[in-house]
Amino acid sequence: MSVMSSRPALRWLVPAAAVAVVVGGGAAVGTLAATAEPSLPPRTAQQLLVDLQTARLDGLSGTVVQSADLGLPKLPNLSGGGSGTADITSLLTDTNTLRVWYSGPDKTRVALMGTLGETDVIRNGKDVWLWSSKANKATHRTISDADAQAHQLPNDLPITPQEAADKALAAVDPSTEVSVGRSATIAGRDAYELVLAPRDKTSLVGQVRIAIDATEHVPLRLEVYPKGSDQTAFQIAFTQVDFARPDDEQFRFNPPPGAAVEEETGTPEADKPDAGLPGHRDGAKTPEEAGLSTVGSGWTTVMVVKGDGKQAEGAEASQAAQVFKALTPVSGAWGSGHLLSGRLFSALITDSGNIYAGLVSPERLYEVALENK
Amino acid sequence: MSAVEVAAVPATRGFTAPLRFLGSELSLIARRRRNQAGLAVLASVPIIVAIAVRVSNPTSSGSGDGGPEFLSSITGNGIFVALAALALELQLFLPIAVAAVAGDAIAGEANVGTLRYLLTVPVHRTRLLAVKYVGIVVGTFIATVTVAGTGVLAGLLLFGGGDVTLLSGTTIGMGEGLLRLLAICLYLTACLAALGAVGLFVSTLTEQPMGATIAIVMFNMISWILGLIPQIEWLHPYLLTHWWNSFGDLLRDPVAWDPLRNGLLSAAAYIVIFLSAAWARFGTRDVTS
Repeated sequence: MSVMSSRPALRWLVPAAAVAVVVGGGAAVGTLAATAEPSLPPRTAQQLLVDLQTARLDGLSGTVVQSADLGLPKLPNLSGGGSGTADITSLLTDTNTLRVWYSGPDKTRVALMGTLGETDVIRNGKDVWLWSSKANKATHRTISDADAQAHQLPNDLPITPQEAADKALAAVDPSTEVSVGRSATIAGRDAYELVLAPRDKTSLVGQVRIAIDATEHVPLRLEVYPKGSDQTAFQIAFTQVDFARPDDEQFRFNPPPGAAVEEETGTPEADKPDAGLPGHRDGAKTPEEAGLSTVGSGWTTVMVVKGDGKQAEGAEASQAAQVFKALTPVSGAWGSGHLLSGRLFSALITDSGNIYAGLVSPERLYEVALENK
Repeated sequence: MSAVEVAAVPATRGFTAPLRFLGSELSLIARRRRNQAGLAVLASVPIIVAIAVRVSNPTSSGSGDGGPEFLSSITGNGIFVALAALALELQLFLPIAVAAVAGDAIAGEANVGTLRYLLTVPVHRTRLLAVKYVGIVVGTFIATVTVAGTGVLAGLLLFGGGDVTLLSGTTIGMGEGLLRLLAICLYLTACLAALGAVGLFVSTLTEQPMGATIAIVMFNMISWILGLIPQIEWLHPYLLTHWWNSFGDLLRDPVAWDPLRNGLLSAAAYIVIFLSAAWARFGTRDVTS
């Protein structure tokens, strides 16, 4: 203190040091976590694929952060909810934090965390509950065995890295180049990285990178890079994970007193977009009903939905008009329509009501539209 | 004012002197008319919320989407009046209360010319700063608890108690609900204490308590505004106010500790940096008034 008294300016070294420690410490932790490359025994891509398929997962709980930067124009909010309301459709944009609990396929819980709200999807045996704290509303659905085979959740968006990886692996075929990337540390666990790249260079997808836990063989992170970009367009990763089987307590849900309870019957609507194909949100029908077909194969598959030529009515029409306003009007030899063009995919809605979508450039969609004219 | 009271404290090096100094500081904060009026304003918000909900919506449960947080749950359980009021006051009213006390801490004494008497008592500058900061933290806690306590009382009177529905849809007993509310008050006190540390630093820079208070409120508002701009998302975790709304994570089942831990770490970082800056500034300053 005597030095400090004789040289008062030296006192400023203390806050300076505090800033250095806080900023430096934070940065060091960040860089260490980002660059530390654990040394793992080498494994081939084939071995990793087998690992993934044979992984037996008893249970896990953890926190998942998902972010999407699909480069889309800002679409009018179709659900009518505001921002930060923990709404399922917000998974298509922005960054979201989810907590997941898994204890076998018939016991799952996913909680989408809003700022001061939460949306939960809880499956316990045959009961599926959708709880929204903001609306103070619980929706219950009993699923039959047939449904149970088809759906684990009333939503096909990949909400865990596992689901996202399953979707990516479904695309592994001769059109895909599979290699092993650098190993990484994710949520404090060592992981191998499997890199899937389309051989067909007309696809907008550059790489899909799946990080696989070295001991549990469970996907911990999935990143999708557009062609020629080192910024992910879609990313989903655990920030914290625990492979202990969660308590049954987590899957028990009784609607709280005072909440609105809605009983839902019948089969759930299957009209949820595949990861990264929100062009489909416009259709109110299931793809099968609406006449879905595909052109091409592998990564450059183009989905074709034939319109029924009928005009939408009422609220649907005004909603469609709002959506169209956000899209780019385009025309060519194939006719005219509206284009939704993102970093990973394109979707074309022609004025005759046909929809073309795929992980390809708009030009490819025009070609398909011309062929289908 | 405080100079008189402190002058009455014998300049012994005993253990009781700092406590008596703190006691006089606290009673000084508590006896200020503006602080009492501010506390009354803070307490009025939960009462207004409770009465408004009671008058407009006596029977139906919840109005669905929209409106401030927790408002739809109030009719089910009065404890949510406290949570709604905290959420409503967190952006401006509570920070103003902290800013009023913190801005006054050093600049107020300098402004009325009592600071130099305080220091000639003799009170070491570091101890003076420490006592002032503890006074700010205690004042912050009292402000937070006043809002929550008034909310609980008004809510219980108008809507009754009972089991508390958490954000995750599970219910807990009233006792645990009150415990969680207390934990929320403590968490928010820690968050607001970080603003108080910034305020103490600002207060050492000037002799105008009003200017200091306004600067602190502006710092708070800028932090909230920056937090709303999505283009600078990388900056958000470092903002003073970013983790404040995480108090809602104490209402999940199970409690989401990660954001709360980050919030406390962030608050601690701000407190360390700005308290040491205040110490450096106050130690080197020429006190002339």
